Amino acid sequence: MAFKDHRDFFEVLERESELARVKKEVDWDGEAGAISRKTFEKEGPALLFEKIKDYPEGYRISNGTSGTWGRVALSMMLPKNTPVRKIYKEYEERIDIKIPPQIVKKADAPCKENIMLGDKVDLNEFPAPMVHEGDGGRYIGTWDVVVNKDPETNWTNWGMYRFMVHTKNWLTGWPQSTSQLAFIMKKSYLPYNKPMPIAVVLGTDPLSHIVATAGIKTFEDEADHVGGLRGEPVELVKCETSDLLVPAHAEIIIEGELMPDQIAPDGPFGEYPGYRSGTMCAGAAVKVKAVTYRSNPIVTMIALGTPPDDSSIAASLTAAVAMKKGLLRHGVPVTDVYVPPEGVTHLIVIGVTKGGAETARKVLDYFTLRRIMTNKHIIVDADVDVFNMAEVLHCFATRCHPGRGILYEWYEGRSNSLTPFYSPEERKKLKGVSVAFDSTWPPEWEKEIVPIKASFKTIFTKETIDKVNKNWESYGIKI
Amino acid sequence: MKEWQTFVRRFSDMKEGKRELFIKDLSPGKAKYSTKHVLATVSKSQKNLQNPDILWIRGESGEKAPDPWYLTIEQELEEFVPGKPWEDVLEAVEKRERGRG
Repeated sequence: MAFKDHRDFFEVLERESELARVKKEVDWDGEAGAISRKTFEKEGPALLFEKIKDYPEGYRISNGTSGTWGRVALSMMLPKNTPVRKIYKEYEERIDIKIPPQIVKKADAPCKENIMLGDKVDLNEFPAPMVHEGDGGRYIGTWDVVVNKDPETNWTNWGMYRFMVHTKNWLTGWPQSTSQLAFIMKKSYLPYNKPMPIAVVLGTDPLSHIVATAGIKTFEDEADHVGGLRGEPVELVKCETSDLLVPAHAEIIIEGELMPDQIAPDGPFGEYPGYRSGTMCAGAAVKVKAVTYRSNPIVTMIALGTPPDDSSIAASLTAAVAMKKGLLRHGVPVTDVYVPPEGVTHLIVIGVTKGGAETARKVLDYFTLRRIMTNKHIIVDADVDVFNMAEVLHCFATRCHPGRGILYEWYEGRSNSLTPFYSPEERKKLKGVSVAFDSTWPPEWEKEIVPIKASFKTIFTKETIDKVNKNWESYGIKI
Repeated sequence: MKEWQTFVRRFSDMKEGKRELFIKDLSPGKAKYSTKHVLATVSKSQKNLQNPDILWIRGESGEKAPDPWYLTIEQELEEFVPGKPWEDVLEAVEKRERGRG
């Protein structure tokens, strides 16, 4: 049975020794973020801070609930030690199944246990963390699901975008200008100078958060795909101040309007590429009209930074599967795609059945066609396990010709301004460049000249391999 | 002395005199880091101002300038400036300052 919310999920995490409850009082101002960062970097458990300075008993902060492959597996109701390849496969199979959400009544929605409306709204009543010292503000929206809707098509978009507390009843945030939220705002609200209703959701079921990071196609509702991934519908309830539907079991729902003609500073923020670079003061402002929340609410946080953390793990999974499907549609003979968490979606590994310059060009074209989040693409032959970075590195080092195997594509207006190596000027104009490293044997080479990999599986006859495997124990070699 | 914080792109962007700023309240407590949008007189030296507060400057990557500035708040403004989402807020503020002369 799927998890309804984070609280259900905490029980399983605890049973699997994947959750630490921190009972000592911690300061929301840097300390919770620092503990979380250190825990990530030591590959530690998810955290639930149960006593927060300045806040009443019961008000809590969590971190890292999807920060390892083991915890992602558990969120998908798979065993904790499921191999990454199997998690990818399972996600790939389930994500295309659509199960529409179920709408529940307000009385059945735990997120409505407490309601702040209008001038009673006070975001300072929640332990929004100062995640990193020197961030632009207290980021209440990090591991969140932000809901917004296109009134022209009825498409409801879910995405994960950062939002910080500006004042007690204003948020500022930075959904990228190339995001689906921005697409809806620019298409259906800005031309009419209308504010756009949004809802920032904290602490719903774990798979909703993971899918919020996914590249689900435009005009497709993420909630349907979450239902498919869970095997049962997500329960949604109507907002207090708009027609948006939000997860009924969420910890906190912040309802507001993204303003078309009023702006205020957001950022900087230590972001998913693992740096705090200069993206600030170029976001959006939200007037908050209501906050509804469960009793003893939990602010679900990720102390974003150097990988791995929830962001790099979740994006690895969701981005890779979306990319594989997209590449296949684009005519690339893909075997598999791996997004190593350490590459923070800047570096992608693509396995193909037929390599060469034409395939490399198709790969690069696919990744630079529209909104561009990645920049380095290593294309490998089918004999390389894309999930094995040692094999990938060997392949890259030995098959990518520096003179003819590296393709570039420059662009403007659609790059990822969070990319740390872009200059301020490049970030402002969304200018960038992507590269494909063709690490495949040229398909036009005759078989006789293609180097044979000197590995156990490839440079010995089948008879020798079978003989060695059959007699392995008798050699007395302990490995 | 109250302490505030503001962000600029480069430390050298901060100039003395009358400035329009978004400043964050560094007073301890639940409302720490809450933002005010103000017209203020800013100086590198506290001697130039009467009963000033401290103003810390941070650059666009969040790095803190080693030495504080000082400010006196002349007027509080609305929480926002006019502009469209994804436009540069600091440029919008600068434009308003130029309009004020």
